Amino acid sequence: MAEHMEVSKAAGQVASSVPTEEVPVQANMVEPEVASGARAREALPQRAATRVGRAVAGERWIARILRGGALISGAMFLGSLVMEALPQSEVVQVAIDTLRKGAASLLLVTPVGRLVMAGTMLGLRGEWRYMLCAAGVLGLLALAVGAGISA
Amino acid sequence: MTALFLIAAGGLAGIMGALLGIGGGVVLVPLLVFGFNLPLEEAVPASLLCVVASSCAAAASYVDNRLSDIRLGLTLELATVVGAITGGLVAAYLAPAMVAVVFGLFTFYVALQILVLRSRREEPVAAAYKPANYPLGLTGSFVAGGLSALLGVGGGPLKVPLMSYGMRVPFKVASATSNLMIGVTGAASVASYALRGHVKLSLVSPLVVGVLAGAYLGSRLMPRVPTAVLKKLFALVLLVVAGQMFWKGGEGLWPSIWK
Repeated sequence: MAEHMEVSKAAGQVASSVPTEEVPVQANMVEPEVASGARAREALPQRAATRVGRAVAGERWIARILRGGALISGAMFLGSLVMEALPQSEVVQVAIDTLRKGAASLLLVTPVGRLVMAGTMLGLRGEWRYMLCAAGVLGLLALAVGAGISA
Repeated sequence: MTALFLIAAGGLAGIMGALLGIGGGVVLVPLLVFGFNLPLEEAVPASLLCVVASSCAAAASYVDNRLSDIRLGLTLELATVVGAITGGLVAAYLAPAMVAVVFGLFTFYVALQILVLRSRREEPVAAAYKPANYPLGLTGSFVAGGLSALLGVGGGPLKVPLMSYGMRVPFKVASATSNLMIGVTGAASVASYALRGHVKLSLVSPLVVGVLAGAYLGSRLMPRVPTAVLKKLFALVLLVVAGQMFWKGGEGLWPSIWK
């Protein structure tokens, strides 16, 4: 997968930026230099793991938003269908109407929430280009809906 | 009883949409218009909301399985939205019937390519690929967005072959990424219909229930179905789209024939 390749590439870049050769020994600097090199080498898999972990967590959140939105709105629509079988009264009609409007609104907001989550996730990882893409899509869609253009 | 049939229709659209990344509107609109005798003005917004439902349910599973390419999706989504807005703005100056015929010819050509010709290029492996030819992808997505605004077709039938054949993305990844993308543009389209009060929620309710169940099933099936089978199925759906476009174009270009 491209994104996982990018994560491993990022980890590789971090690896290449860390000096692997021993630093020339200087009387007053031996200990700190060796220690910082070793620390950097130790930190390397940790940093890569943190990045991968963040990426996975972000993807999980995107999946959760999508699944949550779909499941809750589906349950609300199903609930409204079940309520149609009940003896009809004004209260039942209002409840059905409210459930359906709520379900439709939730369904419409879900992909937007996914877009916001994806933009935030990529922004936190320093991938500004994709964050700008997400922001651009959101801005343009808001403009289109506001202006009444069918996008 | 009608509700059960609508749930079944939604289920079929959900399975197809999740398997092929086309959202399901291609299946649902003709089913609603010809099968349930609903006017197109009611069928289109209902099918668009179903596309959003299908996208959410299927994409959740694909993102979890790392089958959707989020970055590629975001990049192409931007071009699609720009195209959709441009399409909406120039709609008054273009003859949608002519655009429909041209798009119909294109989808017919792509369907024949998939059905008849065997590609000599090997399908890239889903675990290791790099999307190529971004200019083509962006231009195609812009056109897909424009067509979606002009003709009311989702971008899926254009975007999946574009990613798969134009950008060398594995077919299943293209389908999963298309599933992720169509939700956002679909939601924007439904929002504009909803603001005008054109969404009939009593019709949408059973459809969405069916679509969600179908999309869940389709997203579980897709990783197991061989790519060759998915491609053939996609080609058949493209033929249906081509038929719809010829019908739409014919209605506009030669109204006397259809009356």
